[in-house]
Amino acid sequence: MARVLCAWEFGGDLGHIRRLIPIALELRASGHEVCVAFRDSAFLESARAEGFEAFIAPLLRAPRMASQSPLSFSDILLNLGYDDARSLAGALRAWRSFYELVAPDVVVADYAPTALIAAREARIRRVTVGSGFSSPPLRDPLPALRPWIATDTNVLRALDDRLAASVRAALGAASRPLEPARELFEADAHLVCTFAEIDPFGPRDDVEYPGPQADGIAGPSIEWNTDDATRVFAYLKPRDPRFDAVLAGLRALDAEVIVAAPGLAAELARAASTPRMRVVGAPVNLDPLLARATLCVSHAGPGLAARALAAGVPMALLPQQLEQFLIARRIAAGGSAAMLSPEDAAPDFVAWLAALVARNDLREAAARNARAHRHHSFADATKSAAARISAVAAS
Amino acid sequence: MARIAFAWELGGELGHAMACNALARVLHGRGHRIAFIFRELHQLSFLTDTAAYDIFQAPVSVSEGHGVPIPASFAEILAGCGYDRPEHLAGLLGAWIALLDRCKPDIVVSDFSPTALLAARILGLRRASFGNGFSIPPRLTPLPAFRFDQPVPPERVAQADARALASVNGALARFAAAPLATLAEQFETDEDFLNTFPELDAYGVRPEAGYWGPRLSVDAGATVHWPAGTGKRVLVYLKRDLPALDALIDALARGPHRVAAFIPELEGARRERLAGPARIVSQQPMRLAPLLGECDLFVSQGGNVSVGTLMSGVPQLVFPSQYEQYLTARRLEQIGAGSWLAPDAPPQAVAQALERALLEPRYAAAAKAFARRYPKYSAPEQQRRMVLRIEEIVTRPSRWPALPRPGATPILTPT
Repeated sequence: MARVLCAWEFGGDLGHIRRLIPIALELRASGHEVCVAFRDSAFLESARAEGFEAFIAPLLRAPRMASQSPLSFSDILLNLGYDDARSLAGALRAWRSFYELVAPDVVVADYAPTALIAAREARIRRVTVGSGFSSPPLRDPLPALRPWIATDTNVLRALDDRLAASVRAALGAASRPLEPARELFEADAHLVCTFAEIDPFGPRDDVEYPGPQADGIAGPSIEWNTDDATRVFAYLKPRDPRFDAVLAGLRALDAEVIVAAPGLAAELARAASTPRMRVVGAPVNLDPLLARATLCVSHAGPGLAARALAAGVPMALLPQQLEQFLIARRIAAGGSAAMLSPEDAAPDFVAWLAALVARNDLREAAARNARAHRHHSFADATKSAAARISAVAAS
Repeated sequence: MARIAFAWELGGELGHAMACNALARVLHGRGHRIAFIFRELHQLSFLTDTAAYDIFQAPVSVSEGHGVPIPASFAEILAGCGYDRPEHLAGLLGAWIALLDRCKPDIVVSDFSPTALLAARILGLRRASFGNGFSIPPRLTPLPAFRFDQPVPPERVAQADARALASVNGALARFAAAPLATLAEQFETDEDFLNTFPELDAYGVRPEAGYWGPRLSVDAGATVHWPAGTGKRVLVYLKRDLPALDALIDALARGPHRVAAFIPELEGARRERLAGPARIVSQQPMRLAPLLGECDLFVSQGGNVSVGTLMSGVPQLVFPSQYEQYLTARRLEQIGAGSWLAPDAPPQAVAQALERALLEPRYAAAAKAFARRYPKYSAPEQQRRMVLRIEEIVTRPSRWPALPRPGATPILTPT
């Protein structure tokens, strides 16, 4: 049996551990020895409570300046601290010592590019997992993130070169000769744990699609109270500047509404609730809600978007950042969602939401999605991702 | 040969990395295996001879600093470093335990690493504290306030202590470890290398036997000579993000003084503004001993380097940029060996303070008087004894009981 390290370096929110911990559990159930390395100390205990050795991942120093609209994956990494060869050199050294300590046979990298580069140097097998955004197509140069805006190839190549030069400087004399940036992120398998049509870079041939997984962490179960009314489920971040306006819009709908707003204080959640609208300040169990929802309002996070897609629920999408924007754009193009980008002027949310509830075209497109994915098993997705990792470990 | 792990968890200064490195170099030279578990990995680039060491990331809180704005006690520092919730602390503690359990060090040398000490306690590892007064609180209940510039209500100190202790015991329960009766127990060690002078101790004077003197190695770094000339000699050790740095650069560049400066990662444009025939800007830490031998003023932010250079009898100008440094600055002021300015002092104030520090003889007189107080102090002897003490600790059996590990034989095993 193999030793597997599951690493997560960048990206916030619960999505990464909801993907990694079920995979880690599945790998352990098949007899592998698994440990995890996370950058976010707040999530270490959830892994340890499952019985995993949970290490902190080596950290990069936050850059002094970052570009507001990164053009490519290279640009994103430069923004995350890769421009700083001193810091990157330290982190790569720490990954190297860490690999010597835990001797993994395979590194599973969920948005963990430094873990990937260090594993490449140490000639350790590696698998990337994610929802697509963190494993971009490995072309030369790495592609523009906004294909609808013309981006000069030379600009992209210059970003790749800056990234590769910084990595080379950080690795020092022992590193392999300079290669295109894309080679740094090559792996034995790239597992995109979502549907191909909402992979921000998909569909594509050079990755595998185990599809979206079951939730690793189930929240409290809430049930719909009514049978006949319109039922709207919303999953919103309380810090979003549009939060209060959206909540007011939801409250005015002639519908039963359930709002999950993780992080919202209990007293604020209570105050925002009405007899027909329940607001909870925590993640909730999605399955019973999506099964009977007539509209799902969210920021187009990859996990919820995939589940709503498979459940055949029309969506109102309010992406907060680029990854969500790319996902929302794809779902909207497929016909089952309307979206508002962060730059769009806030509409009258009462009218906007009421109109979406009434739209037949959204419902029909959503029903087509449900039919297309009716054979997808969320539980089996975790199993097939774990099986693929096992196969890489055994290869 | 022993395995010696240096843990640096809190406090963000090159001084921590430099101090660990100076001690580690000697220990490594004597055949011991060294691991650095550091919070800031970029500092490695300023250290020499670490190629043979194991390097690890220290578990640190992602939300660090979201606690009390100006802490008054160690417990209030902990509140902002993962000790806000038992669950968060348990994650950090678990990460330290995982790492130390794998590394199996014979001793953990803790530089401002309270959670590493807690993990070492659970694992029954030998451990030593290594730092200035600020990072090694007196083991009292509650852990006392270190602020002396304004009164701190006793109930505030007690409440912070109780909150941190509750988090610690909540976390310990998740590891089936016995609770602590007091937060002070977390800081129990085989030795406290209290590396400062009683006069500079953030907590005020403790029993003298506990002081080991400053821990700066003035003999490490690049060799730099004072430029030829007749100007006064100003030694500068600052960080590039000090708000008053531009004002100081301008004042020095205008003036007749000779300068030797180390400002890590100083941008090219500012380096060019400061550098000149009489002004050297080093890109590496400088060997301080020869420079301090004939120096008129030492300018720093009040970190380890400030305390460490005090025995040279050179007066100081300090720009304290966080609370620990502020306490050091106030102590320097008390003994008369230096003056201090706010980190964002306006240009005119910076220029005036620089001239005053160089012209007024009282600072130099007080600095020289302080140096004469400890005539027998010798940095090499201090280091020799610290190394011997560490070797003495690791050759004895650990006095700390280890908790049974998961999978250990049950106490009652029926046959």
